[in-house]
Amino acid sequence: MPNSANSTRTYASHKSRKLNSWLKNRFPDTTEITLGLRTIFIIPTMTTVALSLTVMLLFLMGINFQNSLIFGLSFWLLALIVISIFFTYRNLSGLSVKSIQASPCFAGEKAVFELQLSCPSDQNKSSIFIGWKDEDLAEVNLHQEESSQHNNPHTQRIKLSHSTSQRGYFKAPRLSIFSRYPIGLIISWSYAALDIQSIVFPEPILQKNADNGIGKDDQAEQGKDIANGSTDFSGIREYQTGDSPKQIHWGTYAKTGELHTKSFIDYASNDLWLEWSNLKLQGVEPKLSHLSARVLECHQLQLIYGLKLPTTTLQPNNGEAHKIACLTALALYGLDSKQRN
Amino acid sequence: MFTKGFPQNKNITHSAMLWLIVVQIVVTLPLMFYLPFLLVLVLIFSTVWRIRMIQGRLSQPNNVIKVVMAGLGFAALASSGLPTASLDMMASLLLLGFAYKALEAFQQRDGVVVILTGYILVAVQFLYSQTMLAALYGIFSLTALTSAMIAIQHTKSIAIKPNLKLATAMLLTCLPLMITLFLFAPRFSPLWSFSLPNNHAKTGITNRITPGDIANLSQSDELAFRVTFAGEHPPQNKLYWRGLVLNHFDGSTWTQFPDELLPESIPFRLYVNKHDLLSHLTRKGYAQQYEIIYEKSAQPWLFALSPVVNIEGDATYSSDFGIIAKQNLFEPLLLKLTSLPKALREAELPHSVRKLALQLPKTGNKKSQALANRLLQTTSSQQDYIQQVLNLFKEEDYYYTLHPPKLEHENSIDGFLIDSKKGFCAHYAGSFVYMMRLAGIPARVIAGYQGGEWNEKGSYLAVHQYDAHAWTEVWLKDQGWVRLDPTAMVAPERVEKNLQAAVKGEGSFLEKHMLSSAKYQWLSGLRKQLDASQYKWRKLVLGYNENTQSSLIKQLFGEISALKAALISLTIFTIIVVFWLIFLGLTKRRQHEAKEHQLYRLFCKLLEKRGITRQPSQSPTEFSQLAATQLPNLATEINRFSELYTTLCYDPDAKSKTPTYIDDLKQVIKSIRRKK
Repeated sequence: MPNSANSTRTYASHKSRKLNSWLKNRFPDTTEITLGLRTIFIIPTMTTVALSLTVMLLFLMGINFQNSLIFGLSFWLLALIVISIFFTYRNLSGLSVKSIQASPCFAGEKAVFELQLSCPSDQNKSSIFIGWKDEDLAEVNLHQEESSQHNNPHTQRIKLSHSTSQRGYFKAPRLSIFSRYPIGLIISWSYAALDIQSIVFPEPILQKNADNGIGKDDQAEQGKDIANGSTDFSGIREYQTGDSPKQIHWGTYAKTGELHTKSFIDYASNDLWLEWSNLKLQGVEPKLSHLSARVLECHQLQLIYGLKLPTTTLQPNNGEAHKIACLTALALYGLDSKQRN
Repeated sequence: MFTKGFPQNKNITHSAMLWLIVVQIVVTLPLMFYLPFLLVLVLIFSTVWRIRMIQGRLSQPNNVIKVVMAGLGFAALASSGLPTASLDMMASLLLLGFAYKALEAFQQRDGVVVILTGYILVAVQFLYSQTMLAALYGIFSLTALTSAMIAIQHTKSIAIKPNLKLATAMLLTCLPLMITLFLFAPRFSPLWSFSLPNNHAKTGITNRITPGDIANLSQSDELAFRVTFAGEHPPQNKLYWRGLVLNHFDGSTWTQFPDELLPESIPFRLYVNKHDLLSHLTRKGYAQQYEIIYEKSAQPWLFALSPVVNIEGDATYSSDFGIIAKQNLFEPLLLKLTSLPKALREAELPHSVRKLALQLPKTGNKKSQALANRLLQTTSSQQDYIQQVLNLFKEEDYYYTLHPPKLEHENSIDGFLIDSKKGFCAHYAGSFVYMMRLAGIPARVIAGYQGGEWNEKGSYLAVHQYDAHAWTEVWLKDQGWVRLDPTAMVAPERVEKNLQAAVKGEGSFLEKHMLSSAKYQWLSGLRKQLDASQYKWRKLVLGYNENTQSSLIKQLFGEISALKAALISLTIFTIIVVFWLIFLGLTKRRQHEAKEHQLYRLFCKLLEKRGITRQPSQSPTEFSQLAATQLPNLATEINRFSELYTTLCYDPDAKSKTPTYIDDLKQVIKSIRRKK
């Protein structure tokens, strides 16, 4: 029996692989997709099954009682099922989905993708759901009544989040788009494979005693001192444009009427370095996770820090952009262009 | 099923709940007239509870309350005394289930059940009434139900107006297909007969007539049937719509057969095949063709000009030259008939018929017997005797009235013929037959309708219950059964014009119906107009069945083969679908993607074939730089393409010259293709 179960599973997975490759072909990666005849699937819902049974019952009633009005009612409901195919298709057709941007996140957190949905201005779209199974789902309405809060009722931006597990690039999986509008008898269904990816930083996990005793700890101590020491006054020089007003020596200005700037000792050579080679950790991922945590820590403390990886080196600096650059370097460490996808 | 796993809200909104309430009231309302009062109370209670619940003033009923309410509902049904297998019972049960389901509808699934049951209840309403008004109300219910269906799909409350508009638009768009299906979808005659007795039977002539019955029936202005004649219509005094032949007299009541014969078996005893019928008939005179639509009567009796020699429709011949429906009329029935009014019926009188037509009660009516003996002594022939009896009505002080005095059970003939001399048609017919039988002349009472009202607007004859009449048939040698109407002797206006004219002096026409429009001449134009449209409705819509369908198809498309039918249906459906596509604006061609982006995609594909795949993160410029270094032989083309593309995308001045840019891009693509 386990044998047959196994074969069923392989058959099923084979089937789903086939379906997947077919879908991949049908929905190639794009930055923008407009839904149409080729991309919209129409499937009746359970409600249609129930309504069809009702229609059948009414038809039998019509036959049994030879009642023209009951015949009429049953045909009308049958026509309603057919017409709702057209209405549901019309609701989805012409909808454009465009990728706008993706925000980075740490592994295990949710990556947020921003999308823009739009349709021609002579159309209305209602109750369209877009999202990923078991992840996130947004409802979109593009019609005049919604216009009070938007400038253009036919364009709307939404944000969808997807959980991540691995550092690196996270490409947005194929999005499902569906709508049961207007009457719930038919579900029109489509996909959007958007060419958009988010960078997933390594999950920040700080390991105790991971930093090498001599090189790292001392340097960190030193680093701190240096960082503190960097506020130590070393002398006064002439003002140059771009100097911070905080560093202007107002005392000299009062005496001489000329601007002078307090200068500070440059400790750049002793800046804090977060070094790959100094880590006492086994494996790539724990190292990256640890470094990721260290980057966050340094950023928190507003330190000036640099990052040295076997492949790249980021010169010491501080600020948001530097943090992102470091984290990105960590996220993409060791990934060649193929793996990035 | 496909949406499993998507976090969706399946609860229905507040506005959808309000829609369900509206639907509940709309669907239940017309059935209230037909169902037991106690059940109506239970339904109202459930609706009110639901409204209070939606308002947040009452909680969801707990199980105890639910059980109590279900119990109340069943108690109401049980106490109503409805027969178990009746339309009322079925409708009541369905309605009860509907009300309870509606009470606890909070999820889409429940809403769907409520709405689908609603659709069935609309059909049930059509079982009770099929008038134009009922149809209009049905359309109204259908719209409300469909709106509710739309409402329960939404996750946000939506306004009433756009919802109603959408439902109406959908239903109207359905019309071409719905009408096509109505006209051409195969209709079947019932394969089985499952008729639920409808207890709201209309008044009508029954198979037991006590003289006062027809007088009572005459107080009703309900329609019995409508007739359209092919060609000239016969004069008013020839319009004897013969229904039942009443042979047996027990002293006060006329029935078809003696009571020994079970009443249930009577219709079947009367069935006769066409061949047997025609063998008792001598064809004579002209053939009258006409079409009748009978209103439902809950009886099998049909009325026609005797003798009927051809029937098209769901009815059969009876042994006494009439016709009978195959089942009780719970629905209107349309028949096409041919009669031979002048034909000779039963030149040879079978013994059993003669025996029935000479039956007399054993006791009573001594005075009438004495009168008959007196007349017999003074007359020489049967004809003479008949004439004497008729003259009696004409010359003596007989009076035609809708208010005959009550008669003594035992001597009812004496009571009328000798004493009161005041009676309605059934009195005259009954005593005349009695007198005939005393003289040994086979005779019988005929119950039916006489006359009718011409509707010039629809060119048909409408026969109402107040046209109910009783007359007689006597059997004479060489003439067979001859129709004689003793009432015509007393009140010729009854036969020449109508009942209203005949009882004008008495003012008793429809006296219990103060508001009946039939009484007022000045309303007759409007009434006839309305009735004419009802008739058209009956004939065209309600009377549309297998037969009318096949004749329509023949008329439109000629003889039909399977292939032809398939081709025609394919054509019709194509036309409908094309109409829908145009109507719904689905034929408009749309530019799905700007041409330059399409070309760029093609460009990437071409490069991919040469082993260079663009990463999503790469900008077009980055990518082309990379590609140009890796594919030096294509470098010029790649750079040119990239330059053109980025200029077109980002330079606002380039937009106006889009076509030239597109041409250039195409040129580049071509040259890339050329270089293998």
